[in-house]
Amino acid sequence: MVEESRLDIQCCAFEGRAMRVRDSVREAGSGTLSSKRGPKMIEIRLQGRGGQGVVVASEILARACFEEGMYPQCYSLFGGERRGAPVAAFVRISDSKIYLKCDIDHPNHLVLFDKTLFDEKEILERVVPGGFLLFNMDEYQSDALENYTVGTIDALEISKKNALGAMVNTAILGAYIRLTQIVSLDRLLKVITETVPGAIDQNVVAAREAYERVSII
Amino acid sequence: MRMFLTGNHAAAYGARLARPQVIAAYPITPQSPIYEKLSEWDGQGVLGARMMRVESEHSAMAACISASLTGVRTFTATASQGLALMHELLHFASGMRVPIVLVNVNRSMAGPWSFWSEQTDSLSQRDTGWLQFYVADNQEALDTVIQAFKISETVLLPTIVVLEAFYISHFMEPVEVPDQRLIDEFLPPFEPPFKLDTDNPASFCQVVSQSQYAEFRIQRHMAMEDALEVAEVVDREYRERFGRGYGLLECYRLEDADTVLVTAATIGSTARVTIDALREEGRKVGMVRIRLFRPFPKAKLIEALNHAKKIAVIDRNLSPGQEGVFCEELKSALYSRINGIPVFGFVLGLGGTNVSPLHIRKVFDIAEKMNDAPLKPIVNIEDEDALGI
Repeated sequence: MVEESRLDIQCCAFEGRAMRVRDSVREAGSGTLSSKRGPKMIEIRLQGRGGQGVVVASEILARACFEEGMYPQCYSLFGGERRGAPVAAFVRISDSKIYLKCDIDHPNHLVLFDKTLFDEKEILERVVPGGFLLFNMDEYQSDALENYTVGTIDALEISKKNALGAMVNTAILGAYIRLTQIVSLDRLLKVITETVPGAIDQNVVAAREAYERVSII
Repeated sequence: MRMFLTGNHAAAYGARLARPQVIAAYPITPQSPIYEKLSEWDGQGVLGARMMRVESEHSAMAACISASLTGVRTFTATASQGLALMHELLHFASGMRVPIVLVNVNRSMAGPWSFWSEQTDSLSQRDTGWLQFYVADNQEALDTVIQAFKISETVLLPTIVVLEAFYISHFMEPVEVPDQRLIDEFLPPFEPPFKLDTDNPASFCQVVSQSQYAEFRIQRHMAMEDALEVAEVVDREYRERFGRGYGLLECYRLEDADTVLVTAATIGSTARVTIDALREEGRKVGMVRIRLFRPFPKAKLIEALNHAKKIAVIDRNLSPGQEGVFCEELKSALYSRINGIPVFGFVLGLGGTNVSPLHIRKVFDIAEKMNDAPLKPIVNIEDEDALGI
């Protein structure tokens, strides 16, 4: 069984009606598409650049949710991945089978791996109010995003310190699960250990450090 | 065992569980992960099949036909241009009655170059005498590959199992991977009535007379008609053993439905979300997802659509100068028995463009507002002026 407190962070409603929100998320209209009485589901967009491990991060996150008994679905926009080019990967997490086989246009959570991709206007247009935003920056100050819970982490500093270079994905994930409480740190570290192709110890340290250091506004 | 797999890997597990003895394939995006997974297992010594790395899809199909004629279970996978390159040999395969199972990952045909989902590649093989299944998710991909071997080997015709590029091939989802022992009980070893055997010399595919050729053609057609019942029996047996069955059509919330959507593959999965929402608003809508395209389940479709007042079809394909292929086939099936139900043909999702629940809602809106079905397919659902509503 899915642990209520983890998955029930947000329940989205069809076309902006009847959104039930718990925990730290405020009530707001939803642009997402699940049915009112349908499954509880959240949609996540991970965005970065080729070489930062965006796609692997989406798989690690989804696998961790899978191991905790949830029903995840993940995919990436493939075809253009190369070092430095913008890359997006997507995760849906639900408490029951996901029937949607379509793109995520209005995610509940947005995770930016690279601060050069930060675009306040786009966030306001795309991300469902009440959702979570995580930025790879040392700090962020603005009133424009007051309808969101914002987390910041200097993931690049952590990855560099741990000899991971620009591969910030595990640090990002550590911060993300602290922000959203979707899975436990232990679960995340286990899946990282099983998934990353090398430098396992460094990745585990990076995820743990980011988990401890993320600042949440 | 429950695993978290892409549709490609789910299909590869399905193939491996069926214990093929020969796999001949050539990698092509977005099918390559199937080929790579099978190669990985081959390298680990756990595949149990002879993996033939050939120089083209044409050679892959030639190798599969020859291997199958010797009486061994045979599998291949391809996509798009690869399937097109096999075309000539697809006719040979069904004509020689070899029960090869082929996974095709739907990918748009060039030109221009593109990698995304569209059904034109497999629908272009409509008349080659292969069964065709269109699946809606990763679990169904795995299960259908296993079912396909049993159906094909019963009717002695080959089968294409169609996965959509990206929305299935690259989406990761939880998938139940059945126990090998249970699959072995479901799918016994392949034993064809005739095969190439040096102890009992025989030959296949001789030059024949006109009337002999006609007889072969009609026999192939009759085997295809038999496949309708066989596919249902096999699916029922699979459901009894594994708790999952799909039918030849998936009928969703058809009870008292006035407007019924007919579609195939992943759009039929997404559409369930729209239909649930519209039902909550009190709108009488339902869906038929066509899972088996060849042989075409006419009688079942007529039965399922008998009480519909309007039918909307969404095709992720377009036959230039005509309309979507599923729409055309549906009209053909209905014409003999049911008159007067307007069929609105929509073409959406070409080249892998997104078809969301809101697009499908719009399709229902348009079908409900319009009185007469246009002769041309509706390719733009945003332009209400052009639609005259």
